[in-house]
Amino acid sequence: MDMDFAPEDLAFQKEVRAFLDDKLNARLREGAAGTPSVFTEPDITREWQAILAEKGWLATSWPVEDGGPGWTPTQKYIFEKECAIAGAPSLPILGLRLVGPVICHFGTPEQKARFLPRIISGEDYWCQGYSEPGAGSDLAAVKTRAERVGDKYIVNGSKIWTTHAHHANWIFALVRTDPTVQKQRGISFLLVPMEQPGVSVSPIVTMANDHEVNATFFDNAETSADNLIGEEGQGWTIAKFLLENERGGSCAAPALLAKLDRIERWAREEASGTNGSMIHDPNISQRLARLRLEAQAFEVTELRILAELAKGRPAGPQTSLVKLTSSNLRQQIDELAVDLFGYDGLQLPVTRPLYGNEAPEYVGSRAAQLSLPAYLNGRAYTIFGGSDEVQKTIIAKQVLGL
Amino acid sequence: MNFDLDENQELFKAAVERFCQGQDVAARRAARALPGGIDRARWKELAELGLIGLAAGEADGGMAGSHGDLAVVAQALGQAQAVEPWLECGFLPARLLAGSAHLEGVIAGEKIAAFAFAELGRRFVLEAQGVKARGGKLSGTKQFVLGGGAADIFVVTAEEDGKTALYVVDAKAPEVEVRPYPVADGGVAAIVTFHDAAAEGPLAADLGAVIDEARLMAAAEMVGVASRLFTDTLEYIKTREQFGQPIGRFQVLQHRMVDCYARVESVQSALLRALLQPAAPMAAIKAHVAENAIWVAHQAVQLHGGMGMSDELGIGHGLKRMVLLSKLFGDPASDILDYARAA
Repeated sequence: MDMDFAPEDLAFQKEVRAFLDDKLNARLREGAAGTPSVFTEPDITREWQAILAEKGWLATSWPVEDGGPGWTPTQKYIFEKECAIAGAPSLPILGLRLVGPVICHFGTPEQKARFLPRIISGEDYWCQGYSEPGAGSDLAAVKTRAERVGDKYIVNGSKIWTTHAHHANWIFALVRTDPTVQKQRGISFLLVPMEQPGVSVSPIVTMANDHEVNATFFDNAETSADNLIGEEGQGWTIAKFLLENERGGSCAAPALLAKLDRIERWAREEASGTNGSMIHDPNISQRLARLRLEAQAFEVTELRILAELAKGRPAGPQTSLVKLTSSNLRQQIDELAVDLFGYDGLQLPVTRPLYGNEAPEYVGSRAAQLSLPAYLNGRAYTIFGGSDEVQKTIIAKQVLGL
Repeated sequence: MNFDLDENQELFKAAVERFCQGQDVAARRAARALPGGIDRARWKELAELGLIGLAAGEADGGMAGSHGDLAVVAQALGQAQAVEPWLECGFLPARLLAGSAHLEGVIAGEKIAAFAFAELGRRFVLEAQGVKARGGKLSGTKQFVLGGGAADIFVVTAEEDGKTALYVVDAKAPEVEVRPYPVADGGVAAIVTFHDAAAEGPLAADLGAVIDEARLMAAAEMVGVASRLFTDTLEYIKTREQFGQPIGRFQVLQHRMVDCYARVESVQSALLRALLQPAAPMAAIKAHVAENAIWVAHQAVQLHGGMGMSDELGIGHGLKRMVLLSKLFGDPASDILDYARAA
């Protein structure tokens, strides 16, 4: 038993580090660090995406024939880990990680040719139409209706929590094509262009003052019947594939550990007001230590999953814990940052962005200014993509057999 | 033994409830969007109900309310999620300005006073160092001056002869520089720099005692907010349907709500104990209330799902107000540690 990467993986790691050193400029780093929301804004991601596309390191979860780099699970892990440590911006994952792999797997050759290159080039920006006002945790209850009329689908209904719909020109949506059958079986996976009179987007501002999510309304919106992925009624299967694809190896711990390292640096600089720096504060230092221990253990959980995948075996049941563990850890880490900064952690900027020339003046430090918005937005980690409660129910049933 | 509100307390509670009726999220936002984040007409209305005067002594034209009376007001304001900074700009100045000629205007709601106590790099330390009083003039910088964007006068802690004393400074004086910035609860705080600004004082108020009273009021307000978030969430899970039934039918949510209920009752009891027969320092009581109340607020967000994240609902507003109150004059972790060390 050992926990070491093979020599060829270490060589790859070196290559990735050199690349990041070279290409990750100050603007990109500042944009990534200065983003308190879950998703990074396109002004930052587009630049980073173009750099990665040029190198061929963008669509890392796609098959080689569709434009993927042909990496092993270990290489994918190493790349993500190095990006997290270097503080690279997150990518527009709705196209690259969600709909992209779906089109790779279920799309016709025509659909692949039409959509995949435009995801890589950044020409298309995707958003996801899953949740509805009446279908959150109970996703199969979606009501948005798509009716086939000639060579088109006519879409009516509404989607909610559509992240970056205000930036997107395409949405992939779970729609009901057959209201007469059992609820999962009447759902289809449909691609709909956003730039048309029948689609409207209205912002939902979070309690952190970020505009990241929206409500998206379809009023006789149209899409070509060619934009159906798979067959009618296959939408639920595709949605599940998409979730499983998300679970095909993860690399969340390195980013958490990197954040803890940053908090430690900030704690060394933050005055306690009485005796030196906050790194000596018993509460802050204990919480930092506890969270580190938890994150270090979690890193190994992810490596155990990776080891299985690297051997070509299916990932173990630990995968089901990844989202639950990482989102809870993340929330505790964000809370620690707020607590570290005392009164400076209570500033809550109203405008965005919090990087570049447009950023409002901060009190204390930029890190302090970012701490409260990050904490508030981070409350969503245990809600989106399957709430904690839903995750635990699934694990209890599928893993523990209860 | 009797835990009922007395007749006057019922009247104050009812006055707050009437004052806050119809003050929904939109009304709160509109108030926050005004210069300085305070609706002056509403502020005057609140003053005319006697809610600021209740905190002032009779000699100053106030009503000399008891801690119990004042806590009823604080809790009712929390329960109603009032946007008016009663604690910061009402209660605190009414106490700190005891004996000052400025108090009359403050009680009438005509003058808004903000308390400048925090200093850069000094965390929760209350002894003044960065602002110095010399020959009747103040110089130095304060931060986190709540209500500072709307204030007409500042009540300022300043160092003189190695001691911390209280002074009053005209906020509009040219020697006073005010840099407003937004804070957690949507209010406007300020960094305030005094450049040899003329100051009245020192004031007679006992700073330590007033801070302890403010901690008690912060705890009372948090009890109100937590109780409001609890009832709103209870209502929500009874009506929100998923999987063909109200989500409140799911056992995991039932248990979570029972935990919330237990904590809401616990903080209510802790508050009553602090009022009637305190067994711990106010800072520790406030810390205990804050930790439990914020836990309830986290659950309220979680059980509201995406809606709980949205600024369209009062849930997030409640969480943000409590995050701010929890750290006012010390945060829970350090206050509990202080209590442990003193024991």
